[in-house]
Amino acid sequence: MKLKEIIEKVDLKILTNEEERDVDGVFISDMLSDVMTSAKPGNLWLTVQTHTNIVSAANLVDLSAVVITQGKEVPKSTIELANRYHVIILSTSMQTFELAAKLIGIGLQA
Amino acid sequence: MQEEKCIDHQWEMVNVKYGFIITEKCFHCDKIATYFSDKERPPMEEYREGDHFWNVVESAQTVQFDLKCSNCGHIEECSDLMGLMMCTGCDEKCEVDVLMKKLEPERTWVYVAFGFLPGEEQRQLSKEKIAILENYFNRRRKSSRSRIKLVSNEMVTSYATCYAEVIRDLDLLSLTPPGNE
Repeated sequence: MKLKEIIEKVDLKILTNEEERDVDGVFISDMLSDVMTSAKPGNLWLTVQTHTNIVSAANLVDLSAVVITQGKEVPKSTIELANRYHVIILSTSMQTFELAAKLIGIGLQA
Repeated sequence: MQEEKCIDHQWEMVNVKYGFIITEKCFHCDKIATYFSDKERPPMEEYREGDHFWNVVESAQTVQFDLKCSNCGHIEECSDLMGLMMCTGCDEKCEVDVLMKKLEPERTWVYVAFGFLPGEEQRQLSKEKIAILENYFNRRRKSSRSRIKLVSNEMVTSYATCYAEVIRDLDLLSLTPPGNE
């Protein structure tokens, strides 16, 4: 599924520069070590972490984008780094569980 | 032998262990040491070791793993890898930063592979090991829009001016790592 389609259907806010991406599955975790071991390339990563290291982790395993849930504010430093490294960061005020349910509803799977 | 015939290893992550990177400092000589602990509760007590008086400075959750070739079964141990750090371009005089600027137009992102400290006392990552890790992370990428370049921490010109951080989980000690129950 195209990232743009997901953004529109579940109403996500784009915080960084946008690029066309194919999303292949969803990964949910707030642990960077989990991302390193278990996330798959193309996954859409849902997390409440906003530290600059999410850019590093997302880039390492080639995730399609990162969605910051629960309305957590993303520091400018994270957004700047993400733009530099072409990591797309999105945000939503939804709880992670609610967002996951909506993503399943539009056809995304783990 | 099967292993000798395998010239193009297909690496996969195995033997995953969740634990902690413990950073200690000797208040006598200011030496810094790091090591991996897979104990449920990371050690926090200060202790003496010869002339050293070690205090825990930081304890961060992390993961250790090995790489196994799905073709020939060869296992490459990676316990000497402390962590990976993405270059954030904070010091234009640093060799890593210079390399990153050179590779950035190709969307090749530079990560530093760190061994444990002190570097002169602990087994550091060999060029071959770094190449294997780079191969693994690049094979794991689905798209061809970007690549990873892994370099040794010996390329970092000055840690004092390096603002990048090793990928690890800090201040999340209330979460139990999977498999460590």
